[in-house]
Amino acid sequence: MSIELRIDDLSKTYGNGVKALQNISLTIPVGMFGLLGPNGAGKSTLMRTLATLQEPDEGSIRLGNLDVIRQKEAVRQTLGYLPQDFGLYQDIAAEKLLDHFAILEGIVDRTERRSVVEALLHQTNLWDRRKQKLGGFSGGMRQRFGIALALLGNPQLLIVDEPTAGLDPAERVRFLNLLSELGENSIVILSTHIVEDVSELCTRMAIIDKGQILLEAEPLRAVETMRGSVWERVVAKDELPAIERDYNVLSTKLLAGKTVVRVYDETQPSPAFYAVGPELHDVYFSVMGGHYRRPAALEAVR
Amino acid sequence: MTKLLAVFRFELAYHFRRASTLFYFLIVFSMCSMIMQVMAGGPRDDGSFNSPFTLLATTVLGSMLALAMMAGFAGDAAARDTDTRADSLFYTSPVGKRAYILGRFLGTFTMSALLLLAFPAGCLLASVMPWVDPSRLLPIRLSAYLAPYFFFALPNAFVGTALLFGAALVTRRATASYAAGAFLFFSALICGKLLAPRLGVSVATLLDPLGFTTINSLLLSLTQLQKDAFVVRLDDELVTSRLLWIAIATSAMAAAHARFRFAHHAVGRESTAVTSRPTGASRAGAITSTVPAARRVFDASTRLRQLRAITVRSFRELHASRAWWIVPLLALLFILQAPALATSRLGVPGPLTTARLVEFLTGDISIWVTLLIALSAGELVWRERGARMHALAGVTPVADSLSVTGKFLGLALMLAAALTIFLAAGLAVQTIYGADEYDLVLYAQLLYGLLLPEYLLFAAFAMIIHVIVNQKYVANVVVVLTPFARDLIQSLGVENKLLLYGSLPAWMHSEISGFSPGTEARLWFTLYFGGWALLFALAAYLFWIRGEERGLRQQIALARRRVTRASAAIGATALSIIVGAGAFIFYNTHVRHDFLTTAETEQRRAELERRYGRYASLPQPILAATKLHVEFYPRHREATIRGTHRLENRSDARIDTIQVATSPDADTTIVSFDRPSRLTVDDDLHYRIYKLDQALEPGESLEMRFGVAIATRLFESRSTPPVVRNGSFITHRPRDGVHWLPDVGYPTARELDDPGIRKTYGLRERSPYPRLGEVPVGSEQRGYEEIELETIVGTDAGQIGVAPGIARRSWTEASRRYVHYVTEAPISNAWTITSANYAVHRARWRPAAGSQQPVDIEIFHHPTHTANLERMVRAAQASLDYNTRAFGPYRYRQLRLVEFPSHASVGGMTAHSSLVMYAEGMSLLRPAKDPRKIDFLFAVVAHEVGHQWWGHQLSPAFVEGAPFLAESLSWYSAMLAVEQTLGRDHLQRLLGVLRADYMQPNQPRTVPLLQAIEAVDSYRRGPFAMYALREAVGVEPVNRALRNLLAKFPPGRPPYPTSLDFYSELRAATPASSHALLRDLFEEITFWELSAKRIDVRPGGQGAYRVTLHVDAQKRKGDNTGTERAVAMDNLVEILIYDADRKPLHRAPQRLRSGPQTLEFTLPRSPAGAIIDPDHELLDRQPADNEITVESTESFRKVN
Repeated sequence: MSIELRIDDLSKTYGNGVKALQNISLTIPVGMFGLLGPNGAGKSTLMRTLATLQEPDEGSIRLGNLDVIRQKEAVRQTLGYLPQDFGLYQDIAAEKLLDHFAILEGIVDRTERRSVVEALLHQTNLWDRRKQKLGGFSGGMRQRFGIALALLGNPQLLIVDEPTAGLDPAERVRFLNLLSELGENSIVILSTHIVEDVSELCTRMAIIDKGQILLEAEPLRAVETMRGSVWERVVAKDELPAIERDYNVLSTKLLAGKTVVRVYDETQPSPAFYAVGPELHDVYFSVMGGHYRRPAALEAVR
Repeated sequence: MTKLLAVFRFELAYHFRRASTLFYFLIVFSMCSMIMQVMAGGPRDDGSFNSPFTLLATTVLGSMLALAMMAGFAGDAAARDTDTRADSLFYTSPVGKRAYILGRFLGTFTMSALLLLAFPAGCLLASVMPWVDPSRLLPIRLSAYLAPYFFFALPNAFVGTALLFGAALVTRRATASYAAGAFLFFSALICGKLLAPRLGVSVATLLDPLGFTTINSLLLSLTQLQKDAFVVRLDDELVTSRLLWIAIATSAMAAAHARFRFAHHAVGRESTAVTSRPTGASRAGAITSTVPAARRVFDASTRLRQLRAITVRSFRELHASRAWWIVPLLALLFILQAPALATSRLGVPGPLTTARLVEFLTGDISIWVTLLIALSAGELVWRERGARMHALAGVTPVADSLSVTGKFLGLALMLAAALTIFLAAGLAVQTIYGADEYDLVLYAQLLYGLLLPEYLLFAAFAMIIHVIVNQKYVANVVVVLTPFARDLIQSLGVENKLLLYGSLPAWMHSEISGFSPGTEARLWFTLYFGGWALLFALAAYLFWIRGEERGLRQQIALARRRVTRASAAIGATALSIIVGAGAFIFYNTHVRHDFLTTAETEQRRAELERRYGRYASLPQPILAATKLHVEFYPRHREATIRGTHRLENRSDARIDTIQVATSPDADTTIVSFDRPSRLTVDDDLHYRIYKLDQALEPGESLEMRFGVAIATRLFESRSTPPVVRNGSFITHRPRDGVHWLPDVGYPTARELDDPGIRKTYGLRERSPYPRLGEVPVGSEQRGYEEIELETIVGTDAGQIGVAPGIARRSWTEASRRYVHYVTEAPISNAWTITSANYAVHRARWRPAAGSQQPVDIEIFHHPTHTANLERMVRAAQASLDYNTRAFGPYRYRQLRLVEFPSHASVGGMTAHSSLVMYAEGMSLLRPAKDPRKIDFLFAVVAHEVGHQWWGHQLSPAFVEGAPFLAESLSWYSAMLAVEQTLGRDHLQRLLGVLRADYMQPNQPRTVPLLQAIEAVDSYRRGPFAMYALREAVGVEPVNRALRNLLAKFPPGRPPYPTSLDFYSELRAATPASSHALLRDLFEEITFWELSAKRIDVRPGGQGAYRVTLHVDAQKRKGDNTGTERAVAMDNLVEILIYDADRKPLHRAPQRLRSGPQTLEFTLPRSPAGAIIDPDHELLDRQPADNEITVESTESFRKVN
C-alpha cells in the first residue's frame, strides 16, 4: 500500500533553551496534511526536520522504510520542500536554474528534463518569464518559482511551509488545487496559519503550539465534535470585557460597528447567545484556549 | 546629533559583541611581535630590538596588513543591512541618511583606530617580554611607540576606513571593501617599490596612500645608529601626502554619501515591480497536472552528471563574480609590466623569455592570486547561504561529497582559466615586444604543471578555512594573511618545508639545463601537500554546512555521521600519501643528507671555530700545484674527482700536523700523503687532522692525494647545483669557503661573519673584514697563493669539459670525451671546471707591439646563445689592449669566456685567472636595443677582463678596502677601455647610468673608500673617485701609480697589497697640490653641494660679452654614523659655459670656496647657459641644480 510518514517522540531544543519540539508523535498518510499553529509554535522546525535540513535531539522519523534522520540522501530522492523564507540566485535565468536543479534531482535525460522544466514553468505561470534573471522576480514570482523547484521530480513527500503567502487569490487557488491533486498519491504536508487553507483542502490536520501537538484530527470530524457548543452574540464594544471574563470566548470580530462574539459552552450560556454551526476556526481557537474536548474515538487511538 | 551618537554607539557595541572583532585584535597582536622581530633584523641580529625606526616600520607595515581587518569592519558596517535585508527597516526609520552613514562611518573608523592601537601596544608588550635580550633593548620611551601611531597609523585608519566604507556603501557589497583594501595596499607597494626608484622618493611618497615608501626608503639607508636615534619627522612631502590622501578619502566618502540613497537596492536589470498577468489557466479553478512523470535515475552516471553540473555551475558563478575581475586586471598588469620585464639586469633590454614571464607571475603578483582564491573559495562555500537558497539546495538528492568536490573542481577550472588568460597575455606580450620564439610546451609545463598545483593546494586550504571558520569575512582575512604568516614563520627560523603547508621549493628553468632538480623535488612536495589537501577536502566534507543546522554540537554529530567507509578510505588514502611522500622527502632531506636549517648550519660553523679556531695561525704548507682527473656523469648528475695537491712548507718551522678541511657538500673518499701519516681527528664538521710521522722541513714539499665524489641531490637546496644534465660547473674558491677539494689549513672562511650571530653563539667579537692595518704585513694568506693546475676532464660524448689552461690533447675513449688542460702560467687558487654541450666561438687578440704574445679568445656558449659573441670578443680585445699598454702584459695565451646556466633573470659574471664565467642571463641581453645608447655588456666584459690585473695580478690582502682594489680598479680599467674604443661621449653616457644607481638617495655612506667593502662603494663610488682623480691630475700619474703598485706586489706571495699601499703610490705619483682632493676622495667621506644660481650677460666691448656666474658651493664631511658637517671648501671645479648650440665657449677648472660667490668671464660670443662640474666628478647629491641657463635667469628676473 501507499507509504506513510511516522514521527515518534521527536524533540528539539535550541541552544538558547527554546524547546522547539517536545515529544512530537504523528502519523501522516498519503493525502494533504495541514499543520496549524501560531507563529513560533515549532511548525517550521518540524518541517525543516522532516525535510532533512535539521537534526532532532531525540526521536525518529520514518518515511515508509526509510529512516529520515539517517538516510537523508534516499529521502531527498523523493522529497520536495518549499521553505517559508528563501531567496534565489540573482544572476541566472529561471529556466536555467530549474534545469540545473532538474539535473540535481536526477532527471538526467535531456529531452525528459526539457519537457519537465517546460511543464513546470507553464504550471507555475512563469513560462513567459523563463528567460528573465531571477533577480528581477517579484515576491509572488519567486514563490511560484520555489513551488516549481519543490515539484521537480514528482516527490512522494512534499513539504510546503506557508506556501500561499505572497500569492494573489487566483494563484493561491491554482496552487492549492495543484497540491490536492498531488495529495492523491503523495504525502503533502502544509504548514500554515491560515485556517481556510486547511479546512478547504486537508484530509488530516494537527494543531501545534509551544512545540507540542495539541490536536491531531480530521478537520471535518473535529468540526463535528464542536457542534452544539459554539454560541454567538452581538454586543456593544464596552460589554466585551465583561463577556470575556464570564464566558470562554473563542473569537471576536467586528461587524458593522458591533462586535460579534463566539463563545464555547456545552450548554447555552445565556438566552442572549444563539447557536451557530461550528467552523474549523472554532476548533483552532478552542484548542488554543484549552477548551477543546478530545473526542473519545481519537483518545482511544492514542 | 543625538541620532548620530546613537548610531555610532550602536555600531561600536555591535562590533564589540562580535567574536570576529576579538579575533581581529588577536591576529593584529600576534602579527605585531612577528613583524617587529623581522624588522629588527631577526632574532639573532645584534641591532636594537625596539629602535624607534623598527617601531615605525612595524606600525606602518602592520597598518597595511590590517587593511584586511579594517575591510571586515567597513564592509560589514556598510553592507550589513542589505545583506541581512534589514535595509528597509533602517531606511524607513527616522534616523536620517546623514546620521546613519556618518554614525556608522565614525563607528567603523573608531574600531579601526582602536585596532591599530594594538601595534604600539603590541610593540610595547613585545619589548618587555622576558626573552628579549636586554642588551638589544633601548630604554622605553612612550613617544617612540606612540608617534608612529599618530603620524601614520591613525591617518591610515582614516584613509582606509573612508575608502573601504565608501566602496561598500556604494556597491552595497562587503566584498568591495576588500577590493578597495587591496587597491590601497598595492598602491602603496607600487609607490614604494616601483615608482620610488623611477620617479624619485619624493614623488612616490606623495602618491603613497599609506606611507610605505617612506619606511621602505629609510629601511635601506639608515645605519643602526640612525635607526636607534630615529625621530619620526614630518617632512613636507610626507605631510602633503598625508593631507592629500585624507582629502581624497574625505571626498570619496562625500561622494559615496551623495550617491547613497535610502532606497531599496534593485538587483538585476528589471525592477521588482513585476506583476504577473493572469492567463487563461490561472482563472480556472480546476486544473490537471500536466507535469510529465520524468524518469529519475540515481546511479553512478547520474552522480557524474550532477558533479559536472555543479562544477560547471560553480565555474560560471565564479566567472560572474567580482573576484574574477582580478584576473583580467592581472593580465593587464602583466602586459603593462612587460617592458620592465623585457629590461634585464643593469637596465639592458632583453627578449621576453617564457620563463621570465612566468617568473613574474610567481613574484609580487602572486598575492593577487591569493586574494582571488580566498574570495572565490568564500564565494563558493557561501553561495547558497548568501542567496538564502540553502534550504532549496539542501533538499536535492546530491551527496555532500559531490557538492564539495564539484565546487572545488569549479574553482580549479576557474584557476586553470585564469592561467590560460595569462598564457594568452604572455603570448600577446611576446608578440609585441619581440620574442625569439613561442615555447608553448614550456608555458604548459610552468603554468599548468607548476603553478596550477600550487594554486590548487592553496584553494583546498582556503575552502577548509571557510568551512571551519564559518564566518565569511574572518575566513577571508585568515586565508589572505596565511602566506604572510608563512613567510614570517619561515623567516623566524622554521625552515623545514614539511611543516609549512604549501611552501614548495622554488622552481628554476634555464635554457641550458632545463628544470633544476629543485623543480623535481617540488613535485614530491606537491604530492605530499596534495595529501594534506585531500585531508582538508575530507574535513571540509565532514563539516560541510548543509541545510539549516547551525549548532556546533549538531555539526559534530553530523560530521560523525558522515564518517563512512568511503570517507574513511579517502582519509586513509590521504594519510598514506602524506606519510609516503613525507617519508620519502624526510628520508632524502634528513636521513640521506642532513637537512640543516640556517640555525643548525650556524651552530656547526660556530662549533668548528670553537674546536679548531686555535689552529688558525698554525704554520701549514701552502698549495703550489694541483693535478686533477675530473669525470662528469651528467646523466646521473654525478662527478668524481681524483687528484693530488703539491704542498710546500714556506714557513721556517717544521710542520708535523696537517689540518685538512673537507668539503661539506661532497663526499671526500680518499685523503693520503706521500709519506706515512696518521689520522688523529676526523669529525662530522668536515675537519681532519693528520699527523705526519716525519715532519715537513721548511722548503720541503709534500704530495697529498684525494678523491671526491659530487652528486646533485633531488632535494637540492642550492638553486644552481654543481652537476646537472647539461651545464655542470664546479667552482672551487677556498678563500671564500667554496671548495670541493680537501683544502689544507683551518678554513677561516667558514667562520660566522655577522657580528650579531657571532654574539649569539658566544664567539669572540670580530668584524667581517679585518680592519685596515690590523693584518700584519707579510703574513701568508691561505687561498691567495698561485698554483699550477693540470686537469683531465672527461664527460659524455655530447658534451665538452672546460678547465683553465692550454688544451694539450683531446680524445674519445669508451664513448666519453676527454680534454687535457695545463696552465702555462700560475693562476689564482680559484677556478671553475664545466661540462656542457657547448659550441665554441674563437677569436684572437694581437698586441700592437711589444713583448706580449697574442691571446686566443674562446667563448664556450650554449649553441643557440650567439647574439652577443662578437660584442664580447670586441670588449675582451679592447680591455686586453688598454690594460696591456697601461699596466703590463697579460700572463696567459688564452682567455676563455664560459657560459653557465642560470635563471633567465639572473645575470652576472665572475673572473678567474684566464677564465671568465658568465651567466646565461647575460647572453639574453640585447645591448644594441638599449635606448640609453650604451653598451653595458661591453663594459662588464671589459671589467671582468680588467680583473686579470686587478684581483689576480694584484691580489689584495684580505682586509677592508680589498673590494675597492679589485672592483673599483677593474671598473677604472673598463671605463678607460670604453672611452678608448667607443669614445668619450659613450663613456659619459655610461657614467650617467652608473651614477643613477649610485645616486639612489639614502644609500648609506659611512665608510671612506679606502675601507670600502660594500658593493655600492666598490662598484660605483670607487670608480667615480678614480675617474674624478684622472680628470683632475691626468691619466698618466694615475696609471703610473697603479703600475708601481703592480710591480711592488707580485701575485701569489706575501706581502699582499692593501688600499693603503695603493694610496701611498697615488700620493707619490701625483703633485702635492692634488693631495687635498685625494684625501676628499679616498680618505674621507666627502660630499659637495654645487649649484648655479644666476648667469648675467653684459656687452663687454669689441663684440665680447662679460658673463657673471653666481654660484653656491658647500662641502660636507660624513662620519661613520652617517652624520655630516660642513667644512671649508677649496676645490678646483670645472666650469662649462656653452652657446645656443650647446657648444662649449669656455671650459676650465676654477677654484671654488664655500658659500655664494660670483665668477667673471669674458667670452667672444653670447652664452646660453653654464654648468658647474659638467661631468659630475664631485659627489653632489643634487646634480640637477648645477646648470643654469640665461633664459631661466631672465624669466626669473621678469617674474620678480
